[in-house]
Amino acid sequence: MLKTERDEIFEKTGQRREDFSVCMGCKICASVCTLNDIGKNVNPQDLLLSIFLGHIPNDHSIVTYCTSCYRCVESCPWRIKIPEIVRAIRERSKGDLFTRTFKSSIAIFGRAYEPYIFFRILPFLLKKGYLRYLPRWIRYMNFSFPPFLLRR
Amino acid sequence: MDKIHELFLSPFPSEEMMHYAYYPGCSLKGSAKKLDRDLRRVFEILGIKLTEIENWKCCGAFEYGSLKQIREMSKVNLKKAERISFQLIAACPLCCKNLKEANEDKKYSIYHPLEILNVDVLFAKAKRELRGLPFTPYYGCLLLRPKETAIKDPYVMERVIDKFGGSLSGEKIRDRCCGGNRFFVDKELSLELTRTILAKSRGFLVVFCPLCHMVLRTFSERNKVIYFTELLLYLMGEREKL
Repeated sequence: MLKTERDEIFEKTGQRREDFSVCMGCKICASVCTLNDIGKNVNPQDLLLSIFLGHIPNDHSIVTYCTSCYRCVESCPWRIKIPEIVRAIRERSKGDLFTRTFKSSIAIFGRAYEPYIFFRILPFLLKKGYLRYLPRWIRYMNFSFPPFLLRR
Repeated sequence: MDKIHELFLSPFPSEEMMHYAYYPGCSLKGSAKKLDRDLRRVFEILGIKLTEIENWKCCGAFEYGSLKQIREMSKVNLKKAERISFQLIAACPLCCKNLKEANEDKKYSIYHPLEILNVDVLFAKAKRELRGLPFTPYYGCLLLRPKETAIKDPYVMERVIDKFGGSLSGEKIRDRCCGGNRFFVDKELSLELTRTILAKSRGFLVVFCPLCHMVLRTFSERNKVIYFTELLLYLMGEREKL
């Protein structure tokens, strides 16, 4: 049988298709969603529905903003794991700079080595105005050797 | 073989039973080094021995889309811990979740430091009180959710603070999300999410998650954000002020 994009997403979440198709449309996930607290106007159920209708919603606002807070999973009667679907969909695209840098750090060092990540994403931090908070971050900046130096 | 071994184990908590393999996680080796140092000190005082897993790797965090990949990364760490102990302590909530999920056949027992904290033992070791000080315990998402990997007693920080006479607030915001996971992707999102948390909290914000600490500290204006371990060390007389 030919594997569709949808099946690939379900496979990545480590669950079967049936675990998601039990959604009854009660929209309780929308009512507890963190993103709706700040008016992002999302409905996680939309995401499920459009996957089942064969369209992968790459730019759905939940895919853009989801913080993996697991509130939807906690309140869902069937415990449908929305955050895991979101992550599987995110994996399909190139991903943002931080995620890519994080992965490359793990590929090089085996761990997330923070100085490396910080300097790689520095242009992004400068552009978005993160460095305004630098005085508050100074106490986080501990020098540590990269993990592969420690290994020897 | 294991059965025979069990027979010879003493019924009293021996040194062997208080020995845990320790998985710090990436943050605790970098930005949250303070948490790592304080945690080791707290356990030293409480008489629990921690041995860091040798050459551990990242648990995969949330950055990987495929659950299978994350499980495999965590299983490598569990395998490495075997040499020390089958009992693990993972301090970062996210690492703890990933390790607990990777422990499919329940071969290992994985705890968060909050789960093995015995309030009575703590009370015996304490030298100070918190009378009159306001606190807002903040757990964040992953210590309380999902249920399968959450800590067993979701009110442990409240119980400790209450027992030593501190006043509590912020019942409504204790399990809210600070957006720490997306902090370096979308700053505005974290800013808006933390606004409610900071507005409704009073006094010291007590957190355990390294990322929550970073985000809340970045945006907080009047609240002081402290690790729970700092509070414990203050109680035990190791720190002079909070």
